[in-house]
Amino acid sequence: MIRLLVVLIGALALLVAASLAFGDVPLGWDELYRVLARTGQAQMQSEMIVWDLRLPRVLLAALVGAALATAGTITLAVMRNPLAEPGVLGINSGAAAAAMGVIVLMNDPPVGLLQVAGFAGALAMALAVYALAWRSGTSSLRIILIGIGLSSLATSFTTFLSAFGDIGDVQRALIWLAGSVYDANMVKVRMLALWLIIPLILAFLASRELDLIRFGDHGARSLGQPVDLVRSLMILLVTLLSGAVIAVAGNIGFVGLVAPHAARRLVGASHSRLLPVAALVGAGLVVAADLIGRVIVPPAQLPAGIVTGLIGAPFFAYLLWGHRHGK
Amino acid sequence: MANDMQPSAKLASKDVDIAYGHRLIVENLNLAIPARRFTALLGPNGSGKSTILRTFAALLKPSTGSILLDGRDVARLSTREMARKFGVLLQGPVAPEGLTVSDLVRQGRYPHQSLFSRWSAEDQQACDEAMVLTGTVDLANRMLDTLSGGQRQRAWIAMTLAQQGDTLLLDEPTTYLDLEHQIELMKLITMLVAKRGKTAVAVLHDINQAARYAQHLVLLKAGKISAAGAPLDVLSPDIIEDVFKVKSVVFQDPVTGTPMCIPL
Repeated sequence: MIRLLVVLIGALALLVAASLAFGDVPLGWDELYRVLARTGQAQMQSEMIVWDLRLPRVLLAALVGAALATAGTITLAVMRNPLAEPGVLGINSGAAAAAMGVIVLMNDPPVGLLQVAGFAGALAMALAVYALAWRSGTSSLRIILIGIGLSSLATSFTTFLSAFGDIGDVQRALIWLAGSVYDANMVKVRMLALWLIIPLILAFLASRELDLIRFGDHGARSLGQPVDLVRSLMILLVTLLSGAVIAVAGNIGFVGLVAPHAARRLVGASHSRLLPVAALVGAGLVVAADLIGRVIVPPAQLPAGIVTGLIGAPFFAYLLWGHRHGK
Repeated sequence: MANDMQPSAKLASKDVDIAYGHRLIVENLNLAIPARRFTALLGPNGSGKSTILRTFAALLKPSTGSILLDGRDVARLSTREMARKFGVLLQGPVAPEGLTVSDLVRQGRYPHQSLFSRWSAEDQQACDEAMVLTGTVDLANRMLDTLSGGQRQRAWIAMTLAQQGDTLLLDEPTTYLDLEHQIELMKLITMLVAKRGKTAVAVLHDINQAARYAQHLVLLKAGKISAAGAPLDVLSPDIIEDVFKVKSVVFQDPVTGTPMCIPL
């Protein structure tokens, strides 16, 4: 386990370094070293590119990935369904609808308001799904079905707004929704880090609960778990994590699904090991996706959300393939 | 019946109705489970055996009436307290993918742990003992989904034993087992009752096995008790025909002296 963590952290560090070095203006490893070591011999321009542009972006990507992977791991356990990701709680579509509403209905809204609206939309959707699924207790399947229903409702609302909104507004909204970390800055990074730290710690503390809840409602309850309470708290954690991510980075798909599955391949089913490994894998995925998005078709930048989809879909097919043909 | 309500009852239902939605499955059930005995619940499909067992385990709430454990209403116990008192094995239990046998058994210690407590020597001892009792020590590192039905069932029983509750509630524990493992399991339950002072309640299908190993039989028909008591007192051709709609003769088992039913 320790060795695996070291390898993963090493790989992540390498990806981060590559992200700092490559882009529109490639720096080269020696120049990057001069900047990072603060030797004073680096060019002003390189200093600015690394510290002000690329570092916040890489850090934001890593945070976003870790949070999405953690939320995905929790969702998989709570929903007991290998295809469940935070999206089944309606989080993504709720955030999208709220953000689209703000962008289209208000004239040039500030980014801060957009983020608040996105988060509020995510939270409202998750609560609505949970409340509608409650019938003297919940069941995972009911949550999934109602989540899918409400999601499509919210999506058609988003489509409706985009059909009637000003074309410029709609385009801005769509870019934001595509999921990207391009307008990162250190303030954003710090805010997201502060916001995420408590849910991440709570998720890790809850690893024993997550191990148990996968045994089914009756199984977990007969082992002493207050299942409905645990499930609602876990859904709240998922909403806090992915709602915040969507607010700052839009919809970055597939990470919440791929990272936990990959982590399970690496360390097995126990959540005390699964959660940290999934977080590292998720961070690496989004950093890599952002890097690839920046260098693949320069000078255009593909949003990370599109790249995760491009990497994620085949990876997912591979997982299913392996699943069908026995590990 | 009067004899059945004696105060040594470990577990009892008092005027219990159980319903799924609006459908009443069990009506006005007054059932007493004697302490430190092996009780078998018998009855045709749909007679409410599993429903009653789940209600005893507090997995279902009775719509009226109460379940008493040592004379106290279990509705007052927290889920965690319940899990320390009862080891429950459900029918066709589901385990998440990728668990080993020892991972599974360790889950049995959940009700004894708190948020910050670490795995203790006591936890380890409980697991080791449960695995020795069920003969699953050699399987400890095997993946659950690579085991045979019988091995898997023993792993699940090891988990319920690791809970160290003094009451075991087992829903059709022998269903997927071959004859050898069925008998092994019956002997294990008998031993736990005799040597460890456990109270065991199992839903069984094999009347003769129940009569041979259990000390107390409860025959159920359409959610009501048709007969309850020691096998010798309870098993008669009349009652078996009443409950199972099968004509039979009842002999004495030449080996154990317990009643043995042969359908005609």
